[in-house]
Amino acid sequence: MVMIVAAFVYLAVSTSGYLTAANLRSVLDQSAFVGVFAVATALIMISGNLFSLSIAATGAVTASEVLYLLPNGGAIAIIVTLASAVVMLGIQGLLVGGVGANPIIVSIAAGGLQEGVFLWLSQGATIEPPMGNTSLAFIENLVHVPLIGDLPVACFVLLGLVIVIEVVLRRTSFGKSLYLVGENRRAAHAAGLPTGWIIVGAFALAGLCLGIAGVEVGGFNGSGSLLDESTYTYDGIAAAVVGGIAITGGRGSAWQALVGAIFIQAVSDLVVLRGYNEGWQLLAKGIVVFAVVILIRLIRGRSAS
Amino acid sequence: MSAILRYRRDALRPFALLVILAILFALLPVFDSAARVGTVNVSDILNTLATLGLVTLALGLSMIAGEFDLSVSSTYLLGSILAVKTGVGSPLVGVLVAMGAGLVIGLIQGLVVSRLGINSIAVTLGGFITVLGLVYVISNNQTLSYPNQGVSTALTNPIASVFSVQVFVAIGVFVLVALILMATALGRNLRAIGSDRKSARVVGLRIPLIVTAVFATSAVLCTLSGALQGYSLQYAAPTQTVSPLIFATTAALLGGVPLSGGRGNPISIAAGALSLGIVTEAIPVLHSANYVNSLLPAVLLLIVTIVDAPDVLRWWRVQRARRGTVMGLRRATQPRQQATDES
Repeated sequence: MVMIVAAFVYLAVSTSGYLTAANLRSVLDQSAFVGVFAVATALIMISGNLFSLSIAATGAVTASEVLYLLPNGGAIAIIVTLASAVVMLGIQGLLVGGVGANPIIVSIAAGGLQEGVFLWLSQGATIEPPMGNTSLAFIENLVHVPLIGDLPVACFVLLGLVIVIEVVLRRTSFGKSLYLVGENRRAAHAAGLPTGWIIVGAFALAGLCLGIAGVEVGGFNGSGSLLDESTYTYDGIAAAVVGGIAITGGRGSAWQALVGAIFIQAVSDLVVLRGYNEGWQLLAKGIVVFAVVILIRLIRGRSAS
Repeated sequence: MSAILRYRRDALRPFALLVILAILFALLPVFDSAARVGTVNVSDILNTLATLGLVTLALGLSMIAGEFDLSVSSTYLLGSILAVKTGVGSPLVGVLVAMGAGLVIGLIQGLVVSRLGINSIAVTLGGFITVLGLVYVISNNQTLSYPNQGVSTALTNPIASVFSVQVFVAIGVFVLVALILMATALGRNLRAIGSDRKSARVVGLRIPLIVTAVFATSAVLCTLSGALQGYSLQYAAPTQTVSPLIFATTAALLGGVPLSGGRGNPISIAAGALSLGIVTEAIPVLHSANYVNSLLPAVLLLIVTIVDAPDVLRWWRVQRARRGTVMGLRRATQPRQQATDES
């Protein structure tokens, strides 16, 4: 861990333009999206169901949905979008928690399903909101307008979300049982907890996060399509893993997802500033995930034995 | 005895499915008068063995051992990119470079999974993203074309109207892997590791060695099939699609390998890949809309995953057992009935 941090610090200091206020602000700015995907992943991971490989697909679909619904008014568009994201993930939670289906495979299938339905309904076209719509301006402002200290509203949405999820995880009985279920589903079941419903709850809550992410991404892009969204899946999962949330479940917090998201975004940004393209970003993230997975194992394994 | 019979019957299921689907496919013109079925379709279906079929074998082997190799999708892509990039002069060099890269990737992943005992999904997620990054870096985010048309012709030229060199290579690989697993204790050991790792350790199986070999084989098979695909299509393009993973998982499940591991063999995996090949081939034959292409594999995967889910199996067994007892009780109350036909 020390080596990674040292390497990172060295690269950060030696890259011109990296340690400037403007660039650090842009890192935080970008983390606002990745962070929401990371919090969603954290919820699924804590519940003991690894991660979802379709969070970016859900984000893209909900982004298009909110833009499509805008003529009905901003509030309605956002509420319907959030609700549909909760339902989409809730159904996956039912399959995983209800019949014990493999969460990874369910998420892969759900991703294909969402993309297929989206292509079917949109006929392959890009979703464009009506011109000059006042509601569009509203959700665009969510992303672009600086609130405090030059940071956009989305950053504070993420901060609020992290606090809310943290309170749910630490202070409610649902949150406490979620950790139990994630740690040992069979034991939690034996203890009389409704494990299935708790997992459905975790997925639904993750769906709410993805709905929020979708609204933000929709506002950011101003148009909806399936393209260029899939890195959010890798970013979100990488952030949760790097933040130290146990991939096998039962351990972790929303804060860790936030920290992980900022770190992943900082790495991405560093790669870009040093003049490398998307491929190198993915490569860097992959290696970071690989290294962190091994490191966590070595550290925890040593303390256990 | 009945346990053995049940095992045999389970083992036959993938082949029964294949036969049923093949018959349904042949009957497609009866259901839809616009559909045309011919040798072209048969050769297409056999071709899936050479491309995604080998990816299915790769993933299937890791699934039999109770692991899951998430990286197959991007390793397959890497194989096609590397072969197309380095095999212009000599196609053999391209294949060897691709397979060499596969071996390195597989060994690293396998060693980390087996020596450190980390969840293979976590490790191969890292591998998946890293290799995807490599794909973009090596291809420079561009579609690479393969100018050597002779190679493509040699690989795909029809032999006996439905086969091709590519298909023979794939069949050869399937048979080779099957023979190695059957002739040695490896096949049995693989299933033992997948079904009960603790007992496998107790009886002294060299689990780390076998698991590492599985991941290495998996990555080599993926890069090989990627290379074949790159040569025959004469191009390789970097994408973020996970459709090879969707195909391979569905096909392996259809091929009788449960996600919990411990069952299945290369020949049943081939049957699963051919079954899914038939289903995908039915889409163009029936002139279905474009979105069906992305919708159908996902729906199928969802269905087989639900069927594979442990609680569904348990529920089904309970139902069957309950029906059995009810019938047994009824039989007991009725004098002189035949013995139970439950197996």
